[in-house]
Amino acid sequence: MRFLMLVRKELRQSLPWLLLGAVSLMAIAGCILWLQVRYSIYDSYDSYRSTSRYFDITRHPPLQAIGPVLLITSLALGLILGIQHFWMPHFKQTWSFLLHRSVSRKTIFMAKLTAAALGFVMSLGIVWLALYFYGYHSANVPAPPVLRVFVEGCIFMMLGLVVYLATAVTGLSTARWYTTKIFPLLFTPVVIVATVCQWKLAGAFAVIIVGVVILLSQALEIISNREF
Amino acid sequence: MNDIVLETKGLTKYYRRTLAVDHLDLKIPRGSICGFVGRNGAGKTTAIKLILGLLNPTTGSSTVLGCDSAELKPSIRQRIGYVTEGHRLFRWMTIGEIEKFQRPFFPKQWDGKFFTDMIDYFELSRKRKIKHLSNGQRAQVSLALALAPHPELLIMDDPTLGLDAAIRRQFLEGMIGLITRQGKTILFSSHILGDVERVADRIAVIDKGVLRANCSLEQFQKAVKKVMLSFTDSVPAEIDIDGLLHCRRSQKELELVLVGADEEQITAWAQKSGADKHQITKMTLEDQFIEYTAPPDHKKLFQWEEL
Repeated sequence: MRFLMLVRKELRQSLPWLLLGAVSLMAIAGCILWLQVRYSIYDSYDSYRSTSRYFDITRHPPLQAIGPVLLITSLALGLILGIQHFWMPHFKQTWSFLLHRSVSRKTIFMAKLTAAALGFVMSLGIVWLALYFYGYHSANVPAPPVLRVFVEGCIFMMLGLVVYLATAVTGLSTARWYTTKIFPLLFTPVVIVATVCQWKLAGAFAVIIVGVVILLSQALEIISNREF
Repeated sequence: MNDIVLETKGLTKYYRRTLAVDHLDLKIPRGSICGFVGRNGAGKTTAIKLILGLLNPTTGSSTVLGCDSAELKPSIRQRIGYVTEGHRLFRWMTIGEIEKFQRPFFPKQWDGKFFTDMIDYFELSRKRKIKHLSNGQRAQVSLALALAPHPELLIMDDPTLGLDAAIRRQFLEGMIGLITRQGKTILFSSHILGDVERVADRIAVIDKGVLRANCSLEQFQKAVKKVMLSFTDSVPAEIDIDGLLHCRRSQKELELVLVGADEEQITAWAQKSGADKHQITKMTLEDQFIEYTAPPDHKKLFQWEEL
């Protein structure tokens, strides 16, 4: 009940940003889909001088063009949620009030992380799923999107969570900027690039899991011992 | 009545090279209302945060309700009410929402009726957002949140800071009076001595991180005295009376601020030094505090070992 209340509080606090993320993704994805449908259908002339219309699925796999938008939105949302959950309490001096609860500090951290993960699912995940189903069932989209494109989108959202954790570690760390405080900010681009460069989805998942484990263990260590 | 709710032993805190709290040995008996006083930057907030385990001590330790502050279990935190400095609450929440948020952390203790009564008493609407409340109203909500679970120990960090006189009085007398009747223990920091005088029965004076007094308020008020001495000739060059805190001299008059000296000692010294007459003048707690913490050369620990 206490954990749920903490999750609920963080979700409620992040609601405007989650809505903004969902609306932005939906708007940009809608534009891209419309453009793709409008301009990706070609006229082909065969030897009998008759014309036929076709969609080059290899050049324009449906939904794939939305991937970069989803990636950028995820990273931005991860950064915003991280700032809101771990930086703003410093500026607004609400850490003392929050930490004086009948739960451990790790529970408070895990509640924030759960809220962020749920936020990603509720904001970008639902929109992405809706786009996938739309692409699959709509007569306007020339070919159904493949499952791999959908999974890639999920991986992009997980990268948002990596950024969230990196922001958390940087926000919580009391070290100097030129020492370990800056580590997450340098580590995250490495994780992102390494993930995006993977040919196999399993490889991408593995990179993300390694990144999450490193950042999560660091964040839990810091929140358990740091001073507020 | 003699058990100790809160105890610190040699509690010391450095912020890098700055000493914030220096070997603090503080004991708060159950059922007492202790005013924790000190000037700005004296180390009050740091000490409170150390006691609540929000800061780690450089050396020393503290226990609250029998549990080490560094490892305060959730079950112990549940028994401690804490009003933060500046009443920092979640500004985006309404009063109703913040009550809903606070309640599950005190599952068996939360007294919803008490909270509602207090909010009604302060004439606040549950639908109002925290960010739309004045400082005083936020303090009232903060107090209601801390009191509604009926904590055994209430720690308040400068709760009346920034409040006007009327709200301060309402805050202190009304609410602390209420909790006193229930026999709770309260530690509240303040630099407004009038507040301490009005509600506290104990006083702990901290100055530049050092605990300089820890006794009942009555003892403190009796102990710090101002004596005016008049001389026909000139005043003596050397003042060798015990407990001297401060000395101001004019050509034929001497003003002494003493701590712990009784009237007999004062009379004896006045006769010895050749004073024509001497008079012990009444001091307010504020004057006593200022004199007690002001002189740079006569700082001594003044603590009655009564616990």
